Amino acid sequence: MSESVTLTIDGQSITVPKGTNVLEAAKLLGNDISAFCYHPGLPIVAQCRQCLVSVEKNPKLQPSCQQVCGEGMVVHTTDPQSTLARKQQLEFTLVNHPIDCPICDKAGECTLQKLYFDHDNADSRVDTNKVHKAKVVDLGPHIVLDQERCILCSRCIRTCDVVAGQHQLEFANRGDHEVLTTAPGEQLDNAYSLNTVDVCPVGALTAKDFRFTMRAWELEATPSVCNGCATGCNIEIQHKNERAWRLVPRLNAEVNQYWMCDEGRFTYHGLREERLASAIVEGLPASWDKAVQVAAKRLGVFLKDASQIGIVLSALCSNEDNYALAKLAKAWGVGHVYIAGKPPVPARADGKLRVADVNPNTAGVKAIAEAFGFTAIPTYELDRGLPENLRALVMLGDVVPGLDAQKLKELEVISLSAHERGPVPSARVALPIAAWAETGGTTTNNKGHVQRMHAAFAPPGAALAGWDAVVRLAAATGQKLAWSHARDVFKDMTQTVAAWKDLTWQRDVRPLALRFAGSRG
Amino acid sequence: MADAQTLKQLVLGRKDVQDLSDTEQDLPPDLMTVNMGPSHPAMHGTVRIVLTVDGEKIVKGDVQPGYLHRCFEKESEHATYTQVFPYTDRLNYVSPMINNCGWAMVAEKLMGLTGKLPRRAEYVRVIVSEMSRITDHLTCVGASAMELGAFTPFLYLLKCREWLYELLEKVSGARLTHSYVRIGGVSKDLPEGFGPELTACLDKIASVMVECETLLNNNKIFRDRMAGIGAISKEDAIKTGCVGPIARSAGVDYDVRRDYPYSIYPELEFDVPLGTTGDCYDRYLVRLEELKQCIRILRQCLVQIPDGPVMSDDHRVALPAKQATYNTIESMIRHFKHIMDGVRVPAGETYAFLEGGNGELGFFVVSDGTGRPYKAYVRSPSFVHLSTAEMLFKNHFIADVVPIFGMINMIGGECDK
Repeated sequence: MSESVTLTIDGQSITVPKGTNVLEAAKLLGNDISAFCYHPGLPIVAQCRQCLVSVEKNPKLQPSCQQVCGEGMVVHTTDPQSTLARKQQLEFTLVNHPIDCPICDKAGECTLQKLYFDHDNADSRVDTNKVHKAKVVDLGPHIVLDQERCILCSRCIRTCDVVAGQHQLEFANRGDHEVLTTAPGEQLDNAYSLNTVDVCPVGALTAKDFRFTMRAWELEATPSVCNGCATGCNIEIQHKNERAWRLVPRLNAEVNQYWMCDEGRFTYHGLREERLASAIVEGLPASWDKAVQVAAKRLGVFLKDASQIGIVLSALCSNEDNYALAKLAKAWGVGHVYIAGKPPVPARADGKLRVADVNPNTAGVKAIAEAFGFTAIPTYELDRGLPENLRALVMLGDVVPGLDAQKLKELEVISLSAHERGPVPSARVALPIAAWAETGGTTTNNKGHVQRMHAAFAPPGAALAGWDAVVRLAAATGQKLAWSHARDVFKDMTQTVAAWKDLTWQRDVRPLALRFAGSRG
Repeated sequence: MADAQTLKQLVLGRKDVQDLSDTEQDLPPDLMTVNMGPSHPAMHGTVRIVLTVDGEKIVKGDVQPGYLHRCFEKESEHATYTQVFPYTDRLNYVSPMINNCGWAMVAEKLMGLTGKLPRRAEYVRVIVSEMSRITDHLTCVGASAMELGAFTPFLYLLKCREWLYELLEKVSGARLTHSYVRIGGVSKDLPEGFGPELTACLDKIASVMVECETLLNNNKIFRDRMAGIGAISKEDAIKTGCVGPIARSAGVDYDVRRDYPYSIYPELEFDVPLGTTGDCYDRYLVRLEELKQCIRILRQCLVQIPDGPVMSDDHRVALPAKQATYNTIESMIRHFKHIMDGVRVPAGETYAFLEGGNGELGFFVVSDGTGRPYKAYVRSPSFVHLSTAEMLFKNHFIADVVPIFGMINMIGGECDK
């Protein structure tokens, strides 16, 4: 029994593990005590004084973020004393806050706006001028600071200290002249710097990448997984008008907690680069039907002795896409199986979230190839020359190291790709497929978590999900793959890959309009 | 041959004329199906009525509404409480101000603001509501008379309506879709010189009504086509949920303004006219009398209306003044949150109702504590009244559909939601 304590919050009794703070305990009861400086992923400093509550037998109000729950403790969060404290604290916080909402990127998802409206909602009583500070402070490569908007909660300082392990931000001066600034000789350039923008409860820190591009309440959020590296940080794709505007981390205690790296945040730009929007046959746009027929005809020559055909699975594509192609390859009985992916970047690995392997699905592709009994070799081994009998290649993705222009010329290449680059333009037939943000599917990260991605918006032009393209190609070559949804591919896959046999496909998540989600913070 | 005959019968719904015997040819005994609507010149509103007739006599009148369905209730779930006002304008579009007031009342009830609005706001609401009620009744009476061939009263009464619309346009900025009322009051005060203008307008309307009564009340054609047509008994009216002029014409003594008083109605003197026979002529007379009562209420309001604000100063509902919005961060945030997140209505559910043009108009709202209704429902009198149509049509002639339907006063926007 020493492991848990029971206390009463606003007349409701609750039992929580020992060491839990009152704020978290109240949250379990559905009572969201207001706070600026408290963040569940950061050390507690109790400096915003916004979460003050009354604890019986205690003469003064206590910050609920720092107050650890005690046995038999009686807490009041809505009594006159703590209600007044919250109101006064908000009034105090707003004294020097600039009138920026119409031009502030945080408006709509601002904790200060939310708490003021929830807990104070009173008129201004200030009749003196506001203290002015610097409006545009360039803190580093990705972030701009507005010192007037800053409410000095220190979340960003702690984020740099804890997440990146680098002390790059500090407070300077005192009183109403206190400002956030970079530490002496430092700039805000760590690999996790943009997390400070997420945790900022106001619009003080804004990302250069996102600021002045889109209003927060106009966006819709779809849960997904970052495709920047093998860690597979859980993210939300925030999108509008059929394109992503930013990626923000989503809580997953086992993978990335509340954080993600800056590099991962920028991967959404790639979704709009050099996209393949229509099937291409010998350099000219073609319909799906024609492209698939030509591909089948070209491959048909070799299908009698399929050992002349090779397939390239991609560590950049989802489990479903790879599984579909591998299953087709098995049905054909191909002779060569390769795995393609970006080369590792050892300098990236930092023992935190960033790892050397910059392919999102290396583990998944290996597991799938293994399950089919393929001896898959990396494509860069083709550097040593093509195997004697390799005549045709069906390849997934646009990153295929080891294939140069000369080798491509010798082969009959069918490419399934989201982008028109690398070896794709040289292919006999190129079939357009959806990129990671545009189709439902799963990836497997370096710890073996099979994680779900949801389609945020539609792929461009005639592009289809990768597995769907494979189904069409299979049908044209006389093979039947009876899938009509990524879920069907997944179910089939869990029956083939032994390690994944207990996995289930959860229902699709629809994009959540952020204006319905209420304020984030 | 037998098969061909059956087929013909299936297609035509009856035997072909040459296949009939002599007696049958004189007067086919089979029932016939006739469509009235959805767009019919002698019916106001877009509604389809499938009449099954025995000769000229109606055996069954299957009423099929829904042509103006706009998903009012579902759309409301995606709009803030304030953004729903324009949707309510399109419910009973002949008296939109009353709908506005009803929607404001339901939110105010959940927020505990009922009875706490500024006095002037309540008076303004009653004034615009009663003006709307007049336009509603004028339209109903005028259009019904026209459909029976009396074109003059239609022009006279619609001209009266236009005078009121012009006044309402001065008040709200829009002729028909006012969106004038807000939770906690109304959006702006009455324009300067409104009182004298309305008084002059009411005088003119009163004199026009005398003319129209002279033209209609004892008009032989009009009375023949209205009296004894589409009668509903008091019991049936109650049983089917009829309210407003239809129920009152049948002798049901029920008026929300008097029986469940809201706003400042307890302070105003007015009578609730009752009919005896419940037929179309009584409905017409009840509406005429109500018009006079509306004018009476308006005249009292214009005398009693106090000065003062027209919007509650409760920060939960009132937008801050522009001066404050642009110069203080507190008001800026409040303005932003009101517009973007909506007026935050406490969690709970409630039903609020008032006397609409057609009777008890009610809104039921479930709130989850956010700025948007979790569920909104409207009890629209037109929908209930239309459900009695089939019963009223029975055993009348096809020509009687016109006055019956006219006097039910089905407003498509309100009925179809």
